[in-house]
Amino acid sequence: MLVRLAERRATGALLRDTGVLYLADGVVVHAESPAAPGIDVLLTADGRLPQEQWREAMDAAGPGCRIAGYLVDHGRLSGGELEIRHLSALYDAAYFVLAPDGGPSRFRHGAVHWFGRVRPVGVADVERETRRRRRYLAGLWPHAHLDSAPPVRRRGARLPPVTRRQRDVLDLADGRHTPARIATLLGRPAFHTLVDIRRLAAAGHLETGVPASGRIPAAAGAPANGTAAGTATPGTTDPLTPDRTPFTVLDIADGRDVAVLRRLRDALEEHL
Amino acid sequence: MSGIDECLLEAMRLPGARGAALVEWVSGLALGVVGEAPGGDHEAMAAEAAEFARSAAELPVFGAPQEPAGTRTGTPDDSGAPVEDVIVLGRGGYHLLRFLEAPYEGGVFLHLWLDRDQANLALSLMRMRDLSERLVLD
Repeated sequence: MLVRLAERRATGALLRDTGVLYLADGVVVHAESPAAPGIDVLLTADGRLPQEQWREAMDAAGPGCRIAGYLVDHGRLSGGELEIRHLSALYDAAYFVLAPDGGPSRFRHGAVHWFGRVRPVGVADVERETRRRRRYLAGLWPHAHLDSAPPVRRRGARLPPVTRRQRDVLDLADGRHTPARIATLLGRPAFHTLVDIRRLAAAGHLETGVPASGRIPAAAGAPANGTAAGTATPGTTDPLTPDRTPFTVLDIADGRDVAVLRRLRDALEEHL
Repeated sequence: MSGIDECLLEAMRLPGARGAALVEWVSGLALGVVGEAPGGDHEAMAAEAAEFARSAAELPVFGAPQEPAGTRTGTPDDSGAPVEDVIVLGRGGYHLLRFLEAPYEGGVFLHLWLDRDQANLALSLMRMRDLSERLVLD
């Protein structure tokens, strides 16, 4: 559908359960998703653009759908910085809008986004980048349900150190905040938060969906265990799942290291 | 300078420049590309350079703060990349990675691929610094 809209140089909004993709003359000009922080959050969260300047731009240029132009014309952001931040937000939201389980698509002709045109990208580029991102996450730690479930921190004295970015995510991994919420609280693109969550899970800092009993199930019993499958579609083979599972640490010489055994089991279950 | 494309085109005016890109290193997203890419694949070049840039920016050996989980020893303003440039002198050419100073949560760098025989490394480094600053300040 998206390809046909691009060929017809359509202008409007592609609506799915997972968000909205805005087209102008067949190219993608903006994307929004409930799973990703909006451009307003990404521009103001780290203080780069003070809230009052954002509100001023909304009041002055929002009705005319040209906030982007207003911010540059009034020296709030350079053209380059606006492009960088807007593209980052666009691809971030598009990743969720174009999710395989995003439901049916509808197109509302003529709809225009209020932010205004910045640096449009081709439909093919957006689709290719979205596929690359899915492959990338699967390569980090192949547990797709981590993208939506509130991450739960795992404590242990032997866990490896984390980076500053990862520490911020870990501090919010209390089993209540979803990845989308964590991204909004931190003012970061949601995909970046998913990357950190997958890396943290791979390193053993987060639970990756283990049975409540903590018992390591026999391989034959695995199909009955739905916890590791998460949101993946049952009965289908995900072509993006890599053949090999990335193990970052394999210290199985120490029989007491339950964390490693759990991770090993999680990884095996994911591939059954 | 008005945007990403102008910045990259200006980088391509350096002697020996073969390809240039602006890349977000957390995601591996190519925000803009011009010229050639090794193997003809700009997407792969961006993804691989991003992985390399991430290592430079996050590994403690290059100055990135690492902390045992649960502690908060870092200062609140330690968000700037600890590395400014990465230079790779390869047999197939020189690669310069220049991190943008703006404290993007995504982390963005300029990547320039240069021909070994024609490149002027010192000039290229200086110009890349200048370009990266002007991209976000002008």
